[in-house]
Amino acid sequence: MKVLVSCVMMLLLFASAVFPAVASVVPYESYNYDYWENFVFTPAPYIPGRSISGGTLGAGAFSGPMDLCSGPDGLVYVADTGNDRIVILNEEMTEAVGIIEDFENNGIRDTFNAPYGIVVSHNNLLYIADSMNHRVVVLDGGSAVQIIDNPQSEMLDDGYVFMPLKIAVDYAERVYVVARNMFQGIMVFSEQGNFIGFFGTINVQITPWDIFWRAISTRAERARQQLFIPTEFTGIDVDPGGFIYASNVDPEGVQAVRRLNPTGEDVIRTGENKNLGGDLIADDFGIYGGPSVIVDVVYREKGIYSLLDSKRGRIFTYDHEGNLLYIFGGLGSQAGTFRQPSAIETIGSVIVVLDANRNEIITFEETLYGRLINEAVALRFDGDETQAVEKWRQVLLLNENLELANVGIGKAYLTSGDNINAMKYLELGKNRTYYSVAYKRYRNEILKENLPYVFTGVVLLPVSYIVFKIIKKERRR
Amino acid sequence: MKYFSKIKFYYLRRVLTNPVDAFYEIRYRDYGSVPLALVCVLLFGLAFTLNRVLAGFIVNDVDPRTVNGLTEIGSVFILFVLFCVGNWSITCLMNGEGRLKDIMAVVGYSLVPLIVVLLPATFLSRLIAAGEEVFYFFAIGVGIAWTAILILMGIMTVHNYTLLKTLATLVLTLFAVFVLIFLALLLYDLINQVYVFFYSIYTEIVFRF
Repeated sequence: MKVLVSCVMMLLLFASAVFPAVASVVPYESYNYDYWENFVFTPAPYIPGRSISGGTLGAGAFSGPMDLCSGPDGLVYVADTGNDRIVILNEEMTEAVGIIEDFENNGIRDTFNAPYGIVVSHNNLLYIADSMNHRVVVLDGGSAVQIIDNPQSEMLDDGYVFMPLKIAVDYAERVYVVARNMFQGIMVFSEQGNFIGFFGTINVQITPWDIFWRAISTRAERARQQLFIPTEFTGIDVDPGGFIYASNVDPEGVQAVRRLNPTGEDVIRTGENKNLGGDLIADDFGIYGGPSVIVDVVYREKGIYSLLDSKRGRIFTYDHEGNLLYIFGGLGSQAGTFRQPSAIETIGSVIVVLDANRNEIITFEETLYGRLINEAVALRFDGDETQAVEKWRQVLLLNENLELANVGIGKAYLTSGDNINAMKYLELGKNRTYYSVAYKRYRNEILKENLPYVFTGVVLLPVSYIVFKIIKKERRR
Repeated sequence: MKYFSKIKFYYLRRVLTNPVDAFYEIRYRDYGSVPLALVCVLLFGLAFTLNRVLAGFIVNDVDPRTVNGLTEIGSVFILFVLFCVGNWSITCLMNGEGRLKDIMAVVGYSLVPLIVVLLPATFLSRLIAAGEEVFYFFAIGVGIAWTAILILMGIMTVHNYTLLKTLATLVLTLFAVFVLIFLALLLYDLINQVYVFFYSIYTEIVFRF
């Protein structure tokens, strides 16, 4: 905490004295965590771009919009939940090119009721989670080509009311639905709209303390206690390989995102600190205390994905190895901050966040710092570590404290055989495994060079000692 | 030079080779030296700090920015004093024959193996790679075990206790240490309140006239 306070003070001092302009441009803090899980402030990886409201688009104000997505044709679709409509924006998000308020369903005009989630498939079909109508509508142009409702299965309870919230479609047109009060996992529907089963169930974690507490409480007390139910998923996205990225609210703050393979197994990778839960330090009290509340996830490219936190309005970005790349964003009322962020999406290099309280779309543009990290990570994802080094070097010029950049450079030195520099950078990057590889090589080199002297010494010393003794004896005679 | 005479140093060395005899003679022939024991504690504090700051990256998880040598040595001393006083107050009530100076000498001398192990282990830790930490942790483990055994034997000998009684007093010592800390905090708070009382009178007077 002391480190945090001093960092904040330093930042304030610098911001006000040296860079008055910077502080006024970026209304939030950008930071990351170091090896010891201290806050380390970083340059802003993304800066706020535009705030786009329904009014500026010529579509009338949004009302509690909950989801947005961009299609293969570049158009942006917003689920304007409170107005029961879908607003379609052009690629630059400067104007509304279409509004879907009703559609043709078997020859009859039909409308939405609180459309909560929206996604566009690769063949340009529009999948809409029409929550209060308890169905998923698949639109092609202005007419419904498929309606998924009333799922039937032995796995579902009698009287289960299907209420889809967020939705994703993979390359085989399987539909993944996050539904309200569905604790068994994500609901999967086949291409034909049949309910196949559940996917990626989150297991309940019961601590020994919980067991003890339940054991000593009476039946009446137990009935009034909170049930141990798994958390629900909050957001969902698909990567080009068909892996599902699903976010959830983790009350422990350990894992808020899962990467599910086609069998529903979690195959996400975690970094050194085994944490994918957003903020590491969350021990302060009050409204802003506690672990991050991750409400949405977006798969970006080259293994990079971002999480959106509604508790403190942060956007956390991880690479495919689970390393935290950068954190930015915040709550507030300035341009570029959120009140109730509901969905995150990327359009090209721009990160787009939908705010359900401000009824705005807020864009973030990458800075040099953010772009260099993205490019370096992308090069590493493609296995091109030598190319990545140049990027990491430039990153280090902007932020000397980034451990990831030091590791990147260290690894490159390791491959080129420069063990001393590799050790230096890998120690700065706190990577024990690769540091050890470099150190072992370095140690062997030194040993190889000096072993002749050591062995000569081992042989010569006793011999000279014996000779010395003999001479001494001779002299005494 | 009574405290640092040759015979005192000899008994410091003898603790390592013949602990039971040495401890017995420290108690009954006054061969122990409290200042020498304090020097041992100081050396241990130094070795401990050095280990925390300088141990190799492979085995060292400590953020060097959080280590303050004076604080580390100070805490070692406080722990030492707390343990000795706690043990003394318990053993006084349980027919222990040891005096405070015997306990201090015994505990201080017992730290010697740990000092002797920590310094080379710190050096060694800078020469190892991942997968070889076992050597380092084994060395440290041996040092800790040796010191623990010496303290146990020492307390047993100077008080003329059986092993079981020694273990029981050690557990009670822990409680005594907590009581001591509690009392110290209480005293601190009390003094603070008195100070604040007089200080507010002072400010009141200053503002009035």
